[in-house]
Amino acid sequence: MDVTKYAELFLTESREHLSAINDALLTLERADDPGDAVSALFRAVHTLKGMSATLGYTAVASLAHEMESLLDRVRRGEHSVTPETVDVLLAGADALESSVERAVAGESSETDVAPVIERLRAVAGPAAAPAPVAPAAKRFPIPAGPGILVRVRQAPETDMPGVRAFLLLQHAKGVGTVLAVSPSVETLQAATAPQEFAFRIKTDATPDAVAAHMRRAADVAAVAVGDEQIAPAKPVVDEKPGAPAKASRSVRVDVTRLDGLMNLVGELVIARGRLAQLAGRAELAALDEAVGQTGRLIGDLQNEIVAARLVPVSQVFDRFPRLVRDASRAIGKDVDFRIEGKDIELDRSLLEELGDPLVHLLRNAIDHGIEAPDGRAAAGKPARGRLTLSATRDRSAVLVRVEDDGRGVDRERVRVQAVAQGIVDASKPELSDEELLRVIARPGFSTADRVTDLSGRGVGIDAVTTRVRQLGGTVQLTTAPGEGTTWTLRLPLTLAIVRALLAKVAHETYALPLTHVIETLDLTPGARQTIRGQEVIVLRGDVLPLLRLRALVDLPHEEVPLPQVAIIARGDRRAGVMVDELIGQQEIVVKQFEPVRDALPLFSGATILADGAPALIVDVGSLL
Amino acid sequence: MSHSVLICDDAIFMRTMVADILSQAGFDVVGEAETGMQAVEKYKQLRPDLVTMDIVMPDMGGIDAVREITKFDPDAKILMCSAMGQQALVVEAIQAGAKDFVVKPFQPSRVLEAVQRVLG
Repeated sequence: MDVTKYAELFLTESREHLSAINDALLTLERADDPGDAVSALFRAVHTLKGMSATLGYTAVASLAHEMESLLDRVRRGEHSVTPETVDVLLAGADALESSVERAVAGESSETDVAPVIERLRAVAGPAAAPAPVAPAAKRFPIPAGPGILVRVRQAPETDMPGVRAFLLLQHAKGVGTVLAVSPSVETLQAATAPQEFAFRIKTDATPDAVAAHMRRAADVAAVAVGDEQIAPAKPVVDEKPGAPAKASRSVRVDVTRLDGLMNLVGELVIARGRLAQLAGRAELAALDEAVGQTGRLIGDLQNEIVAARLVPVSQVFDRFPRLVRDASRAIGKDVDFRIEGKDIELDRSLLEELGDPLVHLLRNAIDHGIEAPDGRAAAGKPARGRLTLSATRDRSAVLVRVEDDGRGVDRERVRVQAVAQGIVDASKPELSDEELLRVIARPGFSTADRVTDLSGRGVGIDAVTTRVRQLGGTVQLTTAPGEGTTWTLRLPLTLAIVRALLAKVAHETYALPLTHVIETLDLTPGARQTIRGQEVIVLRGDVLPLLRLRALVDLPHEEVPLPQVAIIARGDRRAGVMVDELIGQQEIVVKQFEPVRDALPLFSGATILADGAPALIVDVGSLL
Repeated sequence: MSHSVLICDDAIFMRTMVADILSQAGFDVVGEAETGMQAVEKYKQLRPDLVTMDIVMPDMGGIDAVREITKFDPDAKILMCSAMGQQALVVEAIQAGAKDFVVKPFQPSRVLEAVQRVLG
């Protein structure tokens, strides 16, 4: 059989089963009634065994077989679930994973799985009943009595000879009544090797007809009726030449191809804008129509390509249960970890970038958020802490939340520290969630706790917020003392194309991603005021800081007759960004760029506009 | 006219493989089911000439599905697809009404032989 065309499918599906195995093992460890988890585990391991055996991946199959045997004993209640059982099964799951990858890569992993198989066998202990030994094929009494004597020998390649013998007897009933069987039906059914057996049948058919009927059954090497002796076994030729291959239902595409497609469609979107502009000038109805149709097709194409790049968050989330288990065990905390919204999809490259920030937030929750069991008891909470990672779709964005029911961020401690480091004015009585986030997201900010636990890892909340902002997302923190902390990451579905507001300053165009823009307005002279040397704008009674983009990009000061303002927001914080002129909204293709040294940390990327001119994308989040 | 087949297995991989083997041999794969429940529903909907049935599936296992299907149609032609080491379950499936069985790992020729036997 041509194995290669199934290998990809096998790999994809195996990964799903492996993650189901890991999930079920973690459930097994803490479930009061392990029944469901054991069934789920058994099913996944069993399926993996069947698939790998089919492809001839013997290392995977034999490992899965040993796991299945242990699980079967658990299922029958012959073996109780101990931490040791879970450990050895987890080790099995790990070995299974690497063994699957290696098998698909065409490498053998027999020697790698051998020690795990040994461990599994040691834990399972000796089998409850030794495998039935195949009965000696020829030594059985010939059944006596009325009816035609029929002797049958099974073919050497017979699968499940016991079952096949049972089916042969059923088949015999098609021509008459079976009167006596030897060896007994029970012995026959239990047989694990092809065998010879005999029965007597009461029938109106001739002995030859009975023999012919029996020969039509499966895996029959020879049949003899009456006093005939059974013919000696003949070699059997099976295997027919393989039929031509048929195309499989999915194809694997290199991710760089997908990236390339995304770039091209981005360029196409830009060209569409330019074409629409030109067609508008030409004032030809037919041209307009053709351009309009092309535009819609390009839009559809863009949607398809975006969709092709979407992958379920489970691809990254599924590795966290293990991480949480290991991290919480290492420091003696008991954590009930849940994942919700696994099926929500995100752009592949965006999801990959999200892994590290999530690891950091989860570790943070385990290290600092959730208290040790005695601390939780003292606070009147259940000993087991809860940690939830969830994904939800919110219009064109995806919200990813990390939520714990731990002690919450120590607001006062952060405030004192922030005052000491000169970040916050000493007169400030309390920090809001927003302010708290801004303080702890400062590079290098630390409280004493953090120094001991996390500084060695070299990542902090600042790394998380920076990364998420680079992805075009926002971070929100809510925390309540004694009740817990929630981090909410709001992310675009795809990062390559975003809608942006184009703004002109002097002769330059800048793009402000619409993620953060909530409204735009003309700046009437009355709306602008100066309070304590800071320019502000009064918007429906609220006073917002007014930032001049011209000043931010270091252009000389110049008053324009009627400047316009984009109101930007991040969480509760809002501000006005004053520009010479707002040009309008447009889809832009984000091109990441490496900023030159000493460049203003104001831009998150660049884009090419419909007229071919470049424009810098303002990192609006950083202005707030 | 080619025979219609319903393929029941919880693994896409297995379904694809069986579907490939059978469609190359000229069978018409009219449906696939991932669980025993689906198998029963689809059988009633599609009335296929042949069903291939995995034993271990979520929600309703293959053996119960065989029972349900033969209750609905005593002439249903069901071929069990079993892994090694499930002798007892295969016997149970046959007692429940399955006509024959094949053992994973599948060899295309053996699958086709079994299918021919079941279709008689």
